[in-house]
Amino acid sequence: MAHEIVRNEPLNYQDYLVAIRAPEVAAKIKPGQFVVMMLHDKGERIPMSVRTTEGDAIVMYIRKVGKTTHQLIDTPVGGTIKHVIGPQGQPLKIEKHGTVVIATDSVCGHAWSYSVAKALREAGNYVIDIQCFADEKEVYPEWALNKNVCDEHHVMTKDGSVGEKGHYTTLIKQWLAEGRQIDFIYAGGELIKLKHLARITRKYNIPTWVEAHQLMIDASGMCGACRVFVGGEMKLTCIDGPFFDAHKLDFDSMINRYSTYAAEEKIALERYLAQKRG
Amino acid sequence: MGKKIIKKRVPVRERPVEERLKGFMEVPYGYNEDEAIAEAKRCLQCPKPTCIEGCPVNIDIPGFIKAIAERDFERAFYILKKDDPMPAATGRVCPQETQCEVKCVLGKVGDPINIGKLEAFVADWARKNNIKDKPEIHERPQKVAVIGSGPAGIACAVDLRKMGYQVTMFEALHKAGGVMQYGIPEFRLPRDIVDYELKYLEELGVEIKLNTFVGLHIPCEEVREKYDAMFIGTGAGAPRFLGIPGEELKGVYSANEFLIRVNLMKSYLFPEYDTPIKVGKHVAVIGAGNVAMDATRSARRLGAKVTIIYRRTKKESPARIEELHHALEEGVEFMELVNPVRILEKLNQVRGIELIRMRLGEPDSSGRPRPIPIEGSNFVLEDIDMVIEALGTRPNRMFLDRAPFIARDKWGIIQVDEHMRTNQPDIFAGGDAVSGGATVIRALGEGRIAARSIHEYLTKK
Repeated sequence: MAHEIVRNEPLNYQDYLVAIRAPEVAAKIKPGQFVVMMLHDKGERIPMSVRTTEGDAIVMYIRKVGKTTHQLIDTPVGGTIKHVIGPQGQPLKIEKHGTVVIATDSVCGHAWSYSVAKALREAGNYVIDIQCFADEKEVYPEWALNKNVCDEHHVMTKDGSVGEKGHYTTLIKQWLAEGRQIDFIYAGGELIKLKHLARITRKYNIPTWVEAHQLMIDASGMCGACRVFVGGEMKLTCIDGPFFDAHKLDFDSMINRYSTYAAEEKIALERYLAQKRG
Repeated sequence: MGKKIIKKRVPVRERPVEERLKGFMEVPYGYNEDEAIAEAKRCLQCPKPTCIEGCPVNIDIPGFIKAIAERDFERAFYILKKDDPMPAATGRVCPQETQCEVKCVLGKVGDPINIGKLEAFVADWARKNNIKDKPEIHERPQKVAVIGSGPAGIACAVDLRKMGYQVTMFEALHKAGGVMQYGIPEFRLPRDIVDYELKYLEELGVEIKLNTFVGLHIPCEEVREKYDAMFIGTGAGAPRFLGIPGEELKGVYSANEFLIRVNLMKSYLFPEYDTPIKVGKHVAVIGAGNVAMDATRSARRLGAKVTIIYRRTKKESPARIEELHHALEEGVEFMELVNPVRILEKLNQVRGIELIRMRLGEPDSSGRPRPIPIEGSNFVLEDIDMVIEALGTRPNRMFLDRAPFIARDKWGIIQVDEHMRTNQPDIFAGGDAVSGGATVIRALGEGRIAARSIHEYLTKK
């Protein structure tokens, strides 16, 4: 029942590629869906984006943020975790839109954007992929980027140390102002930036779907923790999402409630790190 | 005849309130042997026992009580087990006061027999002495899928397995037990009882597949093809919200979220367990059913002051009397005849709740007086920093969305006949999935009826 870790490689100083054997999930997962992991009997259930599959393993990008992600990354190849549950959520509808932009600025975005870009390209779209990082230190090695699954690839850094300077919001805004044809946008990552993107693309009426982030426990429609408001209607990120129409999504309430447990997450992490130090 | 009537029940010893509030230990200590025998001896052994009629699964109540009175606990256990697959659970969570005990003749002159506590006593005695049913199973080749591992699924799986069928039980969560795992707190139903029943299931040879949401992880059609029959005991696990302004705020929870954190994820043991729970200083719990009491009492144990907000009065509360009584004992404020209008915020966090006063009108479809808002009576309950909505639940739409061939009503409640048959010949259902939210005992009973119907279907096939 336990799931073996088959790859665990650094992408930068804080992000890791982790591949975990989960044959039933790997056989069924579709672009846009996610998994829930629970490392051990006392663990929490955490949702995680999936980049792709390799044989019977799912490949994820994971940042050391809280206790669970630290503990996962600290588990070496050959080690196991207790539960991998999935696929969860709605798969994205892969249709031919024309020109599609996929834009991400976070570790989970860099993960799901790969399979989404690949599928959209195979469906005949011209796929522009924008991957944003803070700086040179954060940029992934070339093999870990989405270059080979899109028609046009942009790496951006806040400080311009690698690739173009700025953020996907600035680039998309510029393209739209210049009249560049964009038929659909998928984006994920920092919620505040997604909110900003929605404001930009609403003006041009460009369909924009973004990955919602909300607290999640069972991730199967039971707890209601992941409720978000889309066009005034309550939706559950776990079963209706995780992708929603950015022009209808209430970002403010999502951003607000998402941070409910920030203090407790800090406590758990500090306790774990202290235990690790002995 | 001529038996001396003892009007008073043998009292149930209970954990003192101060001690209760320090943890999640069970509240009643339960009868010891002498207490159980004394209580059992009060039973009049009516020639036409009405208590049996009150029991949804028609347990031979005078029979098992007589065995207790004769100190034959093993016989008492087997009498109970004949009709009730989980007496340790039902003895604790059944609303006896509206079922068997309300029918007890002694109730007319004094206290009815404490049937619930006697039931729990016998089951606990058997568990401690490792007395269990070890049936000889004559294997049959047919395979049955049981969807959901709560009371209905367990009852159905046990019976089918005893008949020799190859049973696989599918559970969406990482732990089996359904509402007994994620919903009912440990101070009402200790988890060693649930674990014991699940172990028994495995000893019988039922395969339990955890982390498997049928419909999502495996298509319903695939399960249908691989198995000769299917039982749906998927419960009513989806929360309801009031739909009032402010539900997006920090500090607003469904009772499901709160209880799943506390019970399933053991967040009351954070940070030893990784899932946190944040409890306010002053929590408003909306609703007055069993789930509301569970949330209320859990919040008390986590250190909060709690006010129950209910649109009717205590008298109409659908909670078990014992739960309401324990909640009040544990220092909970109960506001009657009020209904929330909106949740107020300060810095995106709950700060209060606006209520409207209600009055009771004519009885509605539930038979209880309909609460009617009193225009202009709005007022604000200040200094509330957490709201838990315990408004009842509904069946999970994700399962139903992916099984469109199963007939259900507009609320997603699966339609069955009295034999628990759905509109599909090979699919049967029971428990909260067909009632929308009822009791453990009713679910157990329906699981057993379904097992008989499945047997009938498979033998005719």
